[in-house]
Amino acid sequence: MTEVSLLSLVKSYGGAPALRGISLSVGHGQFVSLLGPSGCGKSTTLRCIAGFEEVTDGRILFDGKDISRKLPEKRDIGMVFQSYALFPHLTVAQNLAFGLEMRKVPKAQIAERVARTLDLVQLTPYAERYPKALSGGQQQRVALGRALVIEPAILLLDEPLANLDAKLRDEMRGFIRDLQKRVGITTIYVTHDQNEAMTMSDLVVVMFDGAIAQAGTPEEIYNTPSTEAVARFVGNANILDLPAANPGAGTIDLTLPGGASLTIPAPEKPAARLGIMARPEQIALTGAGQGHLGGRVTRRLFGGGYIDYEIATDFGVLAVQTPANVLADEGQAVGLLLDPARLWPVARDAAA
Amino acid sequence: MSRRRPLLLIAPAAALIFFFVMLPYINVLVMSLRMPGSEGKPFDPGFGFEAYAQFFTQDYYLSALPHTLWLGIITTAVCLLLGYPLALHIATASRRWRGILYGIVLSPLLVGIVIRSYGWTILLGNTGVINKTLKDLGIIVRPLKLMYNDFGVVLALAHVFLPFMVLPLLSSLQGIDPAIGQAARSLGASRLTVFRRVTFPVSMPGVQSGCILVFVLAISSYVTPALIGGMRVKTTTILVVDALIDQFLWPFGSAMAFVLALSAGLIVIAFAMLTRMKWK
Repeated sequence: MTEVSLLSLVKSYGGAPALRGISLSVGHGQFVSLLGPSGCGKSTTLRCIAGFEEVTDGRILFDGKDISRKLPEKRDIGMVFQSYALFPHLTVAQNLAFGLEMRKVPKAQIAERVARTLDLVQLTPYAERYPKALSGGQQQRVALGRALVIEPAILLLDEPLANLDAKLRDEMRGFIRDLQKRVGITTIYVTHDQNEAMTMSDLVVVMFDGAIAQAGTPEEIYNTPSTEAVARFVGNANILDLPAANPGAGTIDLTLPGGASLTIPAPEKPAARLGIMARPEQIALTGAGQGHLGGRVTRRLFGGGYIDYEIATDFGVLAVQTPANVLADEGQAVGLLLDPARLWPVARDAAA
Repeated sequence: MSRRRPLLLIAPAAALIFFFVMLPYINVLVMSLRMPGSEGKPFDPGFGFEAYAQFFTQDYYLSALPHTLWLGIITTAVCLLLGYPLALHIATASRRWRGILYGIVLSPLLVGIVIRSYGWTILLGNTGVINKTLKDLGIIVRPLKLMYNDFGVVLALAHVFLPFMVLPLLSSLQGIDPAIGQAARSLGASRLTVFRRVTFPVSMPGVQSGCILVFVLAISSYVTPALIGGMRVKTTTILVVDALIDQFLWPFGSAMAFVLALSAGLIVIAFAMLTRMKWK
């Protein structure tokens, strides 16, 4: 188990910086996700840690030791690629043995460790097959096994589930998380899928435009995002412009258009424009004339276990998600009940 | 109808191959089994193994066969050694450079083989560019023997057939996921080990087809060995043309051509089996 620290990583290609000072520390055995849209620098960060990209400035520490100038083969990492990158000319067992051979592990030990890892990734019956003869999910597990069998200091995963279909992706998500916990290896996972990041991680790092927007537990990122962009990236969010409010000591008193008033926590950092975030499932429907806000149902989408409503209010159209047994017809007038404890002030995006 | 359609679709190609490849082959085989002619006739009535017996008992002709195959193997090896680094470089070059380099590799094919071979005689001849320059510089007194020997023939053949090695190699190398090399490095392999253990073995299909192509073309080439070798380098192909066209020995020339084709086929099969890829 290894502690990984990134100290103000900067990476630029020619002029434009791809990473603009990434600082992050990952504890022993933690599962950290780098989450963001494509081009945000999450993959570049991973490739810098792996050594495939040279950092322009800043340092990368494994257990306090600076490895930022080391060659990739000297860094002791296990990496899983989006394309799996299996060796097509080697069998599954030979793919797993490759890293051990590079480490000059004695033959008998290689056989034993490969067998143990094949068991771990549930591929024992496929040991003698070539990658071409395996399904996507099986290839994925070979890639995982190949990275883990060398018992690396850290495990790096670059969008490993992006090429799988939805059902297999859900299965593999659980599989990877269980495996990571069992092995206890420090893991950095790159994804653009907020669902993957939140369900699997101890720590989610949201990145935009080469910089970290927010790092926190999945709950923190989801419930208390620092900006509107983070709030929207990790889930559906209603962002309401903050009406006239009296900044109190640590709280804001809020008066809604209908006259109802609420007290919500004040933001930690001052921002030019503030908004209030309410997640769709944190708003409840009630009878017309009741609750904090009045509105009219403009759309109802049945989702099985839940219903998605769109409700036109004086605040604009709000998304509301309710349990499937809360029924309101399209066109019906309803009341909206906000939970002051779950409302959260966010800095609005400059462009919004 | 739908079942018969594929057959219908391959019919033109099949007919072409039958009439212009299979029939001539059969014709050569049949001719090689006819009796060698007498009194100026190309062949006499009746069938037998006379022509083969003549070939296998005359050292002048028989010794050319291993020599021809050997020249083919050396030419193939030279093409592989020159072509692999070139293909690797083109495969990893930027998109713009790749186009330019690709064009340069293909450019020799735009010039006819006679002209290309003749070009080498200007360079390699006793009073050619190389010898004249070295002499003028006082580095040599007597001209180096650069042509009319195996060296010149292999050099010219390698030049003529290099594109046929580079193109299959290139398509094979370009098909390799670059992440494979990175995966190998993350597992502890140095750049050199990545090449030895991953890149080269994975590019084997390209090596295989490039080698077979160049070998077959080299042993059956006539113009280049004739011009550069100046009839002093004896290859089976040159002897076959000589027997058929100049000496009018049809069964004998056919027998020689058939033995050459058979030996080349056996070498190609042996090579393909040695480099067989179970993973394909």
